[in-house]
Amino acid sequence: MSDIRRLDPRRPYRLNAGGIRRIVLGDVATVDSGAPTFQQAQQDKQKPLRVRTATDRWLMAVAHANRGKLDAHARQAIAAAAILAAPSEGVVAVVLGELTEDAASTGVDCVVVLPDFDAATYQPERVLAAVRDQIEKYDAKHVFIPDRIGSDGDLGRRLIVALRAPSATGVVELNAKSVSIAWSRGSETAVAALPRIVMLEAGAVDANLPFAGAAERVEAVSRPGADDNNAAFRDLGIKSTGGRQIPLEEADFVVAAGNGVSNIATFQALASALGATVGASRVAVDDGRFARDQQVGASGKTVQATAYIAIGISGAVQHLQGIKECRHVIAINRDASAPIVKRADVTIIGDAEEVMQAVLAEVKATVDLRNKTGSA
Amino acid sequence: MSKASFTVAVLVSVGRNPVSGAGRACPGDAIAMALGRKIAGDALRVVHAGVPYDAALNDYLAQGAGTVEAVACASPDDIVPVLATALENVDLILTGSRTENGNGSGLVPYALAAALDRPVIANVLDAGVDGNDVRITQFLPKGQRRLIAGHLPAILSVHPRAPFHLTYADARRQSGRIVPVTVAPAAANTIGSTAPDWILSPQTRRPIPLKAEVKMTAHERLKFAIAQEAKGGLVVIEGSCVDKAQVMLAYLRENQLIDF
Repeated sequence: MSDIRRLDPRRPYRLNAGGIRRIVLGDVATVDSGAPTFQQAQQDKQKPLRVRTATDRWLMAVAHANRGKLDAHARQAIAAAAILAAPSEGVVAVVLGELTEDAASTGVDCVVVLPDFDAATYQPERVLAAVRDQIEKYDAKHVFIPDRIGSDGDLGRRLIVALRAPSATGVVELNAKSVSIAWSRGSETAVAALPRIVMLEAGAVDANLPFAGAAERVEAVSRPGADDNNAAFRDLGIKSTGGRQIPLEEADFVVAAGNGVSNIATFQALASALGATVGASRVAVDDGRFARDQQVGASGKTVQATAYIAIGISGAVQHLQGIKECRHVIAINRDASAPIVKRADVTIIGDAEEVMQAVLAEVKATVDLRNKTGSA
Repeated sequence: MSKASFTVAVLVSVGRNPVSGAGRACPGDAIAMALGRKIAGDALRVVHAGVPYDAALNDYLAQGAGTVEAVACASPDDIVPVLATALENVDLILTGSRTENGNGSGLVPYALAAALDRPVIANVLDAGVDGNDVRITQFLPKGQRRLIAGHLPAILSVHPRAPFHLTYADARRQSGRIVPVTVAPAAANTIGSTAPDWILSPQTRRPIPLKAEVKMTAHERLKFAIAQEAKGGLVVIEGSCVDKAQVMLAYLRENQLIDF
């Protein structure tokens, strides 16, 4: 027997806040079950605020909110400003439309919310005037705008022409000094110095930041809409094409069926009750229950819906690839260990048919109640 | 039909085949031309600003343009001033969304609107003119369409998904004409003032997303590399079907995904 003193590698230890294992000599306590695990410690750890000295200049991001939230593309535009801002520069975000979430994770110092200028109403001149006011007020050095069809793409181009500022649209890569765009639809790359107005393609910025912003909220008072009646064009309202007519790639609300759905009639009734476009997994399409052009996944279509309800779909990798860009995923599945459970924001474990019937009944009851109170 | 009471013009550009790089009719501009022909018939003016003759313009002739007016224009910066003079008296100007050649910023309709002091409407799917009134269906993402009403004059940029089918006929290609036109550019209203000096290079790599610099200790980096991402949301196992249905609808309501 050797008389070398041996340390038991599995002797009791404690985890410190950073998740590091610490052996305390003479301590015989076992692992404290109340001690935070590393993941918890990471989640609980508040991100530090962005390093900032007295602000003399501002970088600005302008984006429309979507249903009270900032979507990925809007967050990227704000993150671009937050990453490129020097310590002496502030980051201000002008959010058009109602904002209900906390914007601190985007790294923004100051959020100006203009709730009247929702993307739902067509009032380009008023929006342009309001944003110009903000740009002048903060004397923004650079303005970052998401370049996307509809709201922001239109506003950004109007701003460029109105301000006659140096600008770049469709920016795919940027750094503190330069921007690059795809020239002639991507046959060449064009590089120029960072202009004042930068319109960013989706994916040009990684919106995961190691710091948070103060996100002080400034409610801006909008000017009275006097120039509204003078506008050459007026909005006659938005019409939503019925769920079935919207192509799957363009749909905002998709209900998809997989092998677990046996009663197609209930499923179709649910889809029309929710006003959703119908999708299907590969198995359901191969069985002939759905058309080939309704298939979602690697060999079918990629959907960008805000809400995706997967019924009786286990969630093979190929299917999850097709729903990568969906914001809210709800799964109804019998198997609690199916891969879709990891992806879904809400998973209902149960028989697809029974749950669908229950949802249908709930929806019908609510709609009936609303019609009654509406007509009374 | 009161087709003679207003004038309609469409701007066309020389496109670029994405595979071969050869010149062709820009599909987006051709769709704008189809909308113009629906509104004005043969009275539609088809205008191109650039070199006096480009073989790719023949594709527009084949797709139904009787005559293409090729307005001479020395540099890309001159496009808007030249067009502003050439189209001064046109009531309705249609354009595509983005060109296939060069910058493709989609700024021309906006700059032209500023130069001519007219309203501009983007992403037009369909338009109808009745007397002085214009009714427009505008493309919005997520399957939505907006109806807009207004009056002439106006500039519309047409969305590439506008539902028009174009036929190609070689007989029209042979019979059509390309007419060179020379006009004096208007005053200093240029979009050149907003475009920076681009330096071109061959595309050799994918663009790299801008990332924040992260300073971590080696231990933190290791922990990040091996840490499992917290995945999955709320899982409802217990409860009756009605409870489960309510959980689901509550989530949809909470995120404003349904309006009942």
